[in-house]
Amino acid sequence: MNGLQLQTLLPWLVALPLLAAVATVLLQRLWLCRWLSVALSAAQLALALTVLLLLPEQSDSAARRYALGGWGAPLGIDLYIDGFAALLLATTAAVGFLLSIYSGAYFNEADKAARFWPLWWLLMVALNGIFLAADAFNIYVTLEILGLSAVALVALQGSLPALQAALRYLLVGLLGSLCYLLGVALLYRAYGTLDLAQLALQAQAEPLSWAALGLITVGLLLKTALLPLHFWLPPAHSSAPAPVSAALSGLVVKASFYLLARFWLETLDTAATAGGLQMLGALGAAAVLLGSLQAIRARRLKLLVAYSTVAQLGYLFLLFPLAAPLAAGPGIAGAALDAVAYFIIAHACAKAAMFLAAGNIQRAAGHDDIERLQGIARRLPLSLLAFGVAGASLIGLPPSGGFIAKWLLLDTAIDSGQWWWAAVAIGGGLLAAVYVFRVLNLAFAGSSSTADALRMRRLRLPKTLSVSAFALALMTVLLGFNALWVLDLLDIGAPLSYLAGETP
Amino acid sequence: MFHKLDGAKLPLGLRLICSAAIAALTAVLIAIVILSGPAAPGLQAEVAAQLARSGVDNPVTAVLLNFRSYDTLLEVAVLLVVAVATMPAPGRRLRPALAPTGDMVLIGLIDLVVPVVVVVGAYLLWVGAYAPGGAFQAGALLAGAGVLVSITGRFQFSFGALPARAILALGLLTFTVTAAAVALQTGVFFQYPTAAAGVLILFIEAAATISIAATLVLLYGSLVPPAREQESGP
Repeated sequence: MNGLQLQTLLPWLVALPLLAAVATVLLQRLWLCRWLSVALSAAQLALALTVLLLLPEQSDSAARRYALGGWGAPLGIDLYIDGFAALLLATTAAVGFLLSIYSGAYFNEADKAARFWPLWWLLMVALNGIFLAADAFNIYVTLEILGLSAVALVALQGSLPALQAALRYLLVGLLGSLCYLLGVALLYRAYGTLDLAQLALQAQAEPLSWAALGLITVGLLLKTALLPLHFWLPPAHSSAPAPVSAALSGLVVKASFYLLARFWLETLDTAATAGGLQMLGALGAAAVLLGSLQAIRARRLKLLVAYSTVAQLGYLFLLFPLAAPLAAGPGIAGAALDAVAYFIIAHACAKAAMFLAAGNIQRAAGHDDIERLQGIARRLPLSLLAFGVAGASLIGLPPSGGFIAKWLLLDTAIDSGQWWWAAVAIGGGLLAAVYVFRVLNLAFAGSSSTADALRMRRLRLPKTLSVSAFALALMTVLLGFNALWVLDLLDIGAPLSYLAGETP
Repeated sequence: MFHKLDGAKLPLGLRLICSAAIAALTAVLIAIVILSGPAAPGLQAEVAAQLARSGVDNPVTAVLLNFRSYDTLLEVAVLLVVAVATMPAPGRRLRPALAPTGDMVLIGLIDLVVPVVVVVGAYLLWVGAYAPGGAFQAGALLAGAGVLVSITGRFQFSFGALPARAILALGLLTFTVTAAAVALQTGVFFQYPTAAAGVLILFIEAAATISIAATLVLLYGSLVPPAREQESGP
């Protein structure tokens, strides 16, 4: 009976945000939009958690598949869930819930709020759709919704830098989508199916599948902003409204990374070469170091946080060399996925908290020039605390989620005999400490200038804003204490199944 | 805003290298496709085998509105993203309208053409079940009629108003609700009861046609630069 229930819940994860988007287009009263959205985000969270709780009972992969329209692959489109997907869905719902509460208080202009809610819900449709996707072309459509709604949300800010960043984001996103689509077309030509599981069974190491994997990789790397292709991310993420920056850095870039992991380690793993896996790892390592250095040099707080995203995304790419089937046994490969999935969740909460805190500081101080933030902690204690706790997670200090993630990563790197990736993780942590403490030092030392103090006395920050930023920071700490529970869930359905030795 | 992004200022050498790289990549891809031999059979046979159960006779419509209707639903959602991003704020006053044109030829043409376009649009929507046609084609045609009407300046579409927002969201709402409602009967999202499939597909397509047409007219309206509006006055 439970098997039936889990399956029947899956389409609601897409239908609920779709209906919410339509409702927020139709409702004219903004307070109604706001409270309806908060209520529906709570419902989405409840739905995602129910799925997460029902999942352990489903060891059979057929029970975790939902054939839309009853046709079944390859004719129809399926939805598919495993531990990896379910955890990302739950993270999206949890972070999305807190961001909805924050956004309700953040957007007080009627025009922006009226656009924000439908776009926000369509972004949720796309994220949930990607995590549940089991069809290569369906992924293309969800990527289009994701890209377009993200661009529109960045442009919501309305300032010239935001519009320029949004336009660049749009062009990069379209180029990425087209590369991906071309790759999918090649796959369909070669194997005559679009279903990921069937492709995984049929794909062989041959020029056509290499070309397809190459195109898909370039397309998704553009969207994930891995180092040489990261140029669009700092302006877009730093000039968007605060809750949008939080969602983009915390959730949106993770969606395309999730797809990369699926394609390289599951769907097209036969076409993946050891050299390619090592190269992705090397680019990730370069991103960790160069992104952190850029963050240290940044003048604006939101730009610092955005460059820190570039760096933190680099860690995720260590998955590829660590899970490389040639270099590691199946046990180690599973551990690599554990580490990286934990990293994704911890970073989603920490980075969202950090962007909200930065948004609060920008709103209260009227600027986000780091040099002029002296003594701001006295005015915004809770926001600075959130920034500090999130920063501790990014550095990897215990007892945060970031600490567990980094610990697992070090462990895997040493177990697989590739100690140099461990050096990257430690070096990146030290560099993160430099940029986090640079901000905290200034914020806690000295007193703010009189002009800023006067301005801030006039402008009182709504409590919701600082409390929801702090709640997200608190989540990173809770993740640090509940690691085992999260890791157990992750192994359900043996995501990237060959890793667990279940080669089909 | 655009001049910073365009590549005209790039040094010539870099542009040559980029062009050469793109040309080489294209050549390699073409070579791979040619050398890889015949294409896999694809799903045409499968579509043909199930066509009788899809409720329509046109295989394209069967794929778009039944076999892979989830993709089409999400494409209708893409249109709503575009509509929300470009629609005027609710309750905002309209931009100054085009001056009503005194062009008798245009007005006479529209009086003749618009009713015909509406009928042809409805025909295209209907014929989609048997032959090429369907919601996107019919919607584009109706949007053409909408653009013609709006350039006369005699009517103006007010997309900030509630009814207009309802029209823009109608396609997505109808599609989602239908997909969920059939699950009450058959137990599966998007699984239309075979006997009712044809009617349900027409129903969804009719709603989608209206939203597609409205979205295209909205886009046209938001792309007309203000300077041209003044020029085209008498």
